[in-house]
Amino acid sequence: MDLTPKVKFLGMTFDVTLMIGSVVSALIVLLLVFLLTRKLSVRPGGRQNVMEYVIDFVSGITGMMLEKKESARYLSFALTTFLFILVANLLGVVVMVTATAHGPIPSLGITAADLKLTDSVSWFKSPTSDINVTVAMAGAIFLYSHFAGIAKSPLGYLQHYVKPFWWMLPIHIIDEVSKPATHALRLWANIFAGEVLILILREGTFYFTGIPLFAWMGFSVFVGCIQAYIFTVLAMVYIAQKVGEE
Amino acid sequence: MSLAVLAGGIMIAFGALAAGIGNGVLFSRYLEGIARQPEAQGTLFGQSMIALGLVEALPVISIAFGILVLFGII
Repeated sequence: MDLTPKVKFLGMTFDVTLMIGSVVSALIVLLLVFLLTRKLSVRPGGRQNVMEYVIDFVSGITGMMLEKKESARYLSFALTTFLFILVANLLGVVVMVTATAHGPIPSLGITAADLKLTDSVSWFKSPTSDINVTVAMAGAIFLYSHFAGIAKSPLGYLQHYVKPFWWMLPIHIIDEVSKPATHALRLWANIFAGEVLILILREGTFYFTGIPLFAWMGFSVFVGCIQAYIFTVLAMVYIAQKVGEE
Repeated sequence: MSLAVLAGGIMIAFGALAAGIGNGVLFSRYLEGIARQPEAQGTLFGQSMIALGLVEALPVISIAFGILVLFGII
């Protein structure tokens, strides 16, 4: 559990570590996709094959939930979500930059009360291991799914709250609230727990830092891939629930 | 020793217990499935991994909050 440098701007608190992490992962995704889509040809080879495999994989997710015509519309959204979360999850396993604070730093929001807990300051970690990032992503998907549902048929959107019986309205409302909450917590908890265990193992004795650390890092890579996939699948399920039914 | 340490320990312990039971049920059914139909192993593996991610989330949420309580963040 490290501290993070925070900057106050216009009355809002910005977490510098998360901004660095998000920008770096977004740039890596941009660079990766840019390099993999140069010199496209009808007969794909090498790099183009990799990108086509990824797009096939993601279009499998969207095709599972939506009809063919609809799924093509949401393919780029699902691909962006999947690649960003995958890169963000995997970055935190490999790269972690921490520094030691020798005293309170008011300009970075590190106070003496914080230093009683720990004195290590994190400068680079997985952005998805902070709850603010995942809540923002899940909230955006929540708003987008409702917007897409209203845009498709306003009457059908209102009607699906009282289906199949009118007294099911409270259940539907609880469902709508719990969906983004679990969506965000699922991704955050998995990556956060993995990262904390890596930190604990790293600061332990020699017997901890050897094989257990490498075993847990391998498992973290696996968990990161699975959670990126699940986040995308659930985002598509939530959108399909609003868009799919007439 | 403060009570927060005990609370965090209990949260992590029950999370681990629940994850153990859930994953045990999941993978025992997966093994039963491939014992009955060995040719379905490929599809069943992918499906069981998705189910693993869905099942494991709730215990891991409890463990993450347990860690926060244990270190005195909340």
